[in-house]
Amino acid sequence: MLELILQSLFSGVLSGAYYALIALGLALVFGTMRVINLAHGELVLLGAYISYTAEEKLGLDPLASLPLALAVVVATAMAVYYLVSLIKKDRELNSLILTFGIGVILTNAVLMIWSADIHSATTAWYHDAVIPFDILFAMQAELVFAGIGIVLVGAVWWWLEKSWYGRALRAVASNRDAAKLMGVNPQLTEVLSFAVSGLLATVAGIAIYTAKVIQPAMGHHLTVKAFIITVLAGMGSVPGVLLGAVLLGVVESLTVTMASSALQELAGMVLFLVVLLLMPSGLFGRAKRRG
Amino acid sequence: MNRILIAALLAFAYVVVPLALGSNAYVVGLIVAALTIGGIAIAWALLGNLGGMVSFGHAAFFGIGAYVSALLTLRAGWPVFPSMLVAGFGAAIASIATMPALRLRGPYFALAILAYAEIFRILATELKPITGGAAGLLSIPRLPNVLGLDFGSKLGGYFVILTIVVAAMVAYDLIRRSPYGLALKAMHDSEDATRVVGVNSTMLKAWMLAVSAFITGMVGAFNAHYINFLEPDYAFAGQWTTLAIVSAIFGGYRTVSGPLLGALVVYLVDQLAFKPILPQGHQIVLGVLLGAMILFSPGGLMPLLLSRLSRKEASHAA
Repeated sequence: MLELILQSLFSGVLSGAYYALIALGLALVFGTMRVINLAHGELVLLGAYISYTAEEKLGLDPLASLPLALAVVVATAMAVYYLVSLIKKDRELNSLILTFGIGVILTNAVLMIWSADIHSATTAWYHDAVIPFDILFAMQAELVFAGIGIVLVGAVWWWLEKSWYGRALRAVASNRDAAKLMGVNPQLTEVLSFAVSGLLATVAGIAIYTAKVIQPAMGHHLTVKAFIITVLAGMGSVPGVLLGAVLLGVVESLTVTMASSALQELAGMVLFLVVLLLMPSGLFGRAKRRG
Repeated sequence: MNRILIAALLAFAYVVVPLALGSNAYVVGLIVAALTIGGIAIAWALLGNLGGMVSFGHAAFFGIGAYVSALLTLRAGWPVFPSMLVAGFGAAIASIATMPALRLRGPYFALAILAYAEIFRILATELKPITGGAAGLLSIPRLPNVLGLDFGSKLGGYFVILTIVVAAMVAYDLIRRSPYGLALKAMHDSEDATRVVGVNSTMLKAWMLAVSAFITGMVGAFNAHYINFLEPDYAFAGQWTTLAIVSAIFGGYRTVSGPLLGALVVYLVDQLAFKPILPQGHQIVLGVLLGAMILFSPGGLMPLLLSRLSRKEASHAA
């Protein structure tokens, strides 16, 4: 029993790493633009399917397809940014409906191009087992992408804290007008936040393709998971996003181990509602009225 | 003038449409489906317009209404029409469970409701002894014969859903014209200011949520008896929310008749024009429509068409 629990904690932490990548992208865009990009999960989906095509048709290793997937996903993210920036009135709600529409478009485009079949990576190396400490089990893909995920989240954190652009981005997030007066171009930071969120989504997409299975309906669920994590984390905390992602991953995998896999999504939703209703500023966020 | 128009439209819907199309079961079926979407769209728009809240989880109320009515008739042997009414109340009661989410605003509310829809769907799947689980419920009683009228037929179903939709629109209009409607409108402009003058805005929002859930639950119950079959993934499907949102936005969610018009246009065009060309992924058209409306005419088509009329009226009044 103890081994089972340890194993599910371990698996949860591993999924938490790529959840964090998705959630961080969503949170970045929300921070700078006050826009919840409901098409964010579909960007991840797109990255995953480009990687699939590259492996299937060109024989590329999923990791080697990164530049190609990156180009497509970041271009799509830019298109989403452009459309959202066209909204002038009542942006918070209108952008929600607009990005919901874009999500529907992307999901159905993936469905039309790649059909509804389920796919996963065929490169055998990724599926080889690793057995740390003799009792835990993981696929190599899971370990590789958990590592990449943590490094990337760390890099984004460092970038936000230390670099000029990162500081500009945080400045726009906290006070747009003041940031403008200090010589920060808000549009530039918005474009940057979308580009970085596209980058993170691409890596997460490749991670899911190699370690799990992909299917067109997945995008919507990923968006919801990412939103749950940002609520758990509270806004404006990068380590919080990582912890929230790991928390969601662990709760999900414990639910699968202790109860049943049918309840996996339910656990996340209940956790989401409890935190939202009891701790509206999240587990790690600063207290602040929402909306 | 306006009354004559409404009377003419009602006569058209209750007399002309059945006489002209009644013999064509396929077309009647399409119109019934469009009206079903229209009913949810009206409920969604009522919450969105009067309550100022965007919901991504109306499928929750649709599914609960469907299950309540189906279970009452199947397991407790209730007659169909009273069950449908109770199903509406069931959905309204379920909306009480979602009311803690009312203190959230904007996107948080929208997604919290979505979480509720997911939870209800999983519960319907897991509570096998009551709901039949993923296998679903079969042979749900059809709409009955009343006074020689067979509501179980396609055309009978048309009259039932038409009546539900008309009643929903009447209720919507009455609320809008009442003092509560005024308070809700004020709340839209500034919730804080409205609270200061003594309007209990949370209470009002809760009522709008309950009314919206009631209508959606009734429509869900109708649909269950109309198609005689129910399973969790169908009853709580995201498409009920998506189609309703697209319809309401397309028709103009700030008007009473817009969502219905939107549903008729969107659903019929989707089914007749796009489904044959794009059997897989034809919903892409819905996404395009939604995006285009938000970008070019957030008020919907109706205001666009009506803007000339109202300008004329305004100059007349002056």
